[in-house]
Amino acid sequence: MMRDVFGGGEQAGDPFYLKLIDKLAPLYRKIGVDYPQMRTILEMKLTMDSRKEAVIQGMNTSKKQDEEKNQFFSSLWVYAIISVFLLFLFVYDNWVFQYTTYFSYIFIMLFSTMLANFSNILLDTKDAELIGTKPVSQKTIGAAKATHIGIYLVSFTFAAGLAVMLATFYFNGILAGLLIIFLSFLSALWALGLTIILYATVLKHFDGEKLKNIIAYSQIGVSVFMVAGYYLMGQIFEVIDPETFLVEMNLSLGHALLFPMWFVAPFGLLQEGFQTVYLVYTVFLIVGTIAIGILYNLNSDKIDSNLQKMNKAKAKPSSRSLLEKGTAKLLSFSSLEKAYYHFTWQLTKNEREFKTRLYPSIASAMIFPLFMFFSSLRGDQPITSQNTLTFLYLPYFTMLAIPMIAVATQFSVNYKGRWLFELSPKHAKGPFLRAVTKVMLVKILLPMYGLISLLILILTGFTYSVQLLNGFLLMSDILYFEMKRTGQQLPFSRKYAASEANQGCMASLIFFVPVFVISLGMILLQTFVPYAEWGVLVGLLALNGWWMKKGFDK
Amino acid sequence: MEPIVELVDVTKQFDGTPVLKGVTFSVMPGEIIGYIGPNGAGKSTTVKIILGMLKKDSGTIRLFDQLLDPNDVTYKSRIGYVPENAELYETLTAKEYLLFVGELYGMKEQDIIQKSVQMMDALGIRDAFHGRLSSFSKGMRQKVLIISSLIHDPDILFWDEPLSGLDANSVQIIKELLAKLKQDGKTIFYSSHVMDTVEKLSDRILILHDGHVVADGPFSELKKEAAGTLEQLFNTLTGFDQHEALAEQFLQGMKGEFTHDA
Repeated sequence: MMRDVFGGGEQAGDPFYLKLIDKLAPLYRKIGVDYPQMRTILEMKLTMDSRKEAVIQGMNTSKKQDEEKNQFFSSLWVYAIISVFLLFLFVYDNWVFQYTTYFSYIFIMLFSTMLANFSNILLDTKDAELIGTKPVSQKTIGAAKATHIGIYLVSFTFAAGLAVMLATFYFNGILAGLLIIFLSFLSALWALGLTIILYATVLKHFDGEKLKNIIAYSQIGVSVFMVAGYYLMGQIFEVIDPETFLVEMNLSLGHALLFPMWFVAPFGLLQEGFQTVYLVYTVFLIVGTIAIGILYNLNSDKIDSNLQKMNKAKAKPSSRSLLEKGTAKLLSFSSLEKAYYHFTWQLTKNEREFKTRLYPSIASAMIFPLFMFFSSLRGDQPITSQNTLTFLYLPYFTMLAIPMIAVATQFSVNYKGRWLFELSPKHAKGPFLRAVTKVMLVKILLPMYGLISLLILILTGFTYSVQLLNGFLLMSDILYFEMKRTGQQLPFSRKYAASEANQGCMASLIFFVPVFVISLGMILLQTFVPYAEWGVLVGLLALNGWWMKKGFDK
Repeated sequence: MEPIVELVDVTKQFDGTPVLKGVTFSVMPGEIIGYIGPNGAGKSTTVKIILGMLKKDSGTIRLFDQLLDPNDVTYKSRIGYVPENAELYETLTAKEYLLFVGELYGMKEQDIIQKSVQMMDALGIRDAFHGRLSSFSKGMRQKVLIISSLIHDPDILFWDEPLSGLDANSVQIIKELLAKLKQDGKTIFYSSHVMDTVEKLSDRILILHDGHVVADGPFSELKKEAAGTLEQLFNTLTGFDQHEALAEQFLQGMKGEFTHDA
């Protein structure tokens, strides 16, 4: 049965993180937060996260109703397992190299989780109405939101870095171990603080419809910087001798901006002793932390006080674009499906929450092939058959957006509108899922794949257009299977809760290996068997034709 | 006696579109104000500004004889609010939700539970105390919202369509309750589109139209300006006289007979 979660303050049954936060109460009070109120809000939020919204009456029977389990925490073990792969770092005897790789990884993971999964909690407008009308200050609401996300981000960081942390104690000593625990914790706070400051600034300065777009752009911007930064970090090191695992570091002035390096500097001081560059970076770290603290304190109440702006945008007349109409005609084989096609198209066009969830992963899936493309160009190498091959398969990387698409289409802020689907006269699940899949294919994957393919066509000519086409057809099939695998319910009919945050990453992991194997198989086949591309084309076309007509029918 | 709520020339615009173009009114303690106006006239915006959810662009607001200070939220503990769209945290149970709201007001757990149980009992939903709000009917949710707006014994109530979804018996209880709250000295801001209820319940009526207050006074006085019911008065003041023609147009639209100017 239901636990009584609001049991008047500190109880034996409180999760340990709440007890930990209780210890920080004086700190909260110092920045002007009403601690008991904040704790009440936090407890309520965590209770809600541990409960699953009962999906459509009758579909999911009461079996799961009373089960209270926070999905987020129970999915963290996956990250702990992945972190084992990072242990390869310890074959290098260079701490700076080890922790540069570690912190780049941690920051990428942190920012992508933060942007895609927790933005909607920060930007939730419901709290303003339900909590803001009570005598609760914006600062307290802001602190509750930040702490709510903070709990998830910190536990996420410790899961993602678990193996490295343990190994650090073993290989590099207790001092380094304590340092990495502290700095990992700090990096989670950095990611949280920077995101809050970013959103608060955007919300303060923009208004209305513009605001929604700018939030999406700023998310994409951060994703781009992230991947670009990761790429630059990779340039700092050069493996001199692969046999002895000797690496050399070439730090230049420009690298001072890569803040994950600041987290590494203390390890440099610890292993190699005093060096000016490490000292400077460590000072940067300290100054940066203080600056984030101050900026957070100045901005923490700005998000909620400006959030109402989001709901007040003027309605723009929306019409069906030529692309929407044309593809609907071309790809939908029944009127019901066509209706769902237009519905999905418009819904994904208008729903901010959908965009905030999906755009960061689109940006990161795009940026890698683009980087590869332009950095290969810069090399001034003639186009040989060897590097044509690399170019040809660059667009495949856009497939990395597929798992997130499959997850994002399950949720909607207006999930309650699902009664409409249940009311529709015909059995509609098959056509609906087909329509959603097709819209995602045309609206999201086609432009991504198309852009990169176009660049490659310009570079290599039309010789390989069949291979490029095959890549897209393969992607379309993979999208179908991924949607099929994940979509047990009607699309856009689930409520998004913070505890679902790991879904995208989980799905990506399950997705990655089989897709990699299949893609590689197809690439090898097309490269080494003459005329295989035509056979592949026929096969893929047939498969596509099948799912577009009959897919999702049970 | 000093007014308990006073607005002078309050303006607000969204995205360049003015919503409030200078709203001025004052309310005395113990009054029931019927706050009405067509959709989009700015009713909710006014209430949200008073509650500090939105910032006004210009004008002055006085509450409890003090200038509204956006940095001081303590005044909100004297306000009870029923929002228009019946938003709740649905994954919570009624008990948890009421405890949550009560604790935000700084109340003791024991008090909250005792009060909630008694109030829920009176409204006939005591059995649902431990049920999840997501399984509640619209009327039951409305009752929970009404209880949560009164649990801390506030001085001013902002009720937006408080009767929506309630069955006839519950409506009777709430109407009676309103009268008793008034006797108790509470000030009630009552917003609704159901004109005869507003007409009967309110001491004074405020009609908001196009960002201005176009009528302010007891119904008996307003009647002098335009004869008939409040509904007719409302229609006159908001310049609306084509209901019949529009209904006809609607019906034709449904049947697929299109008028050329439609």
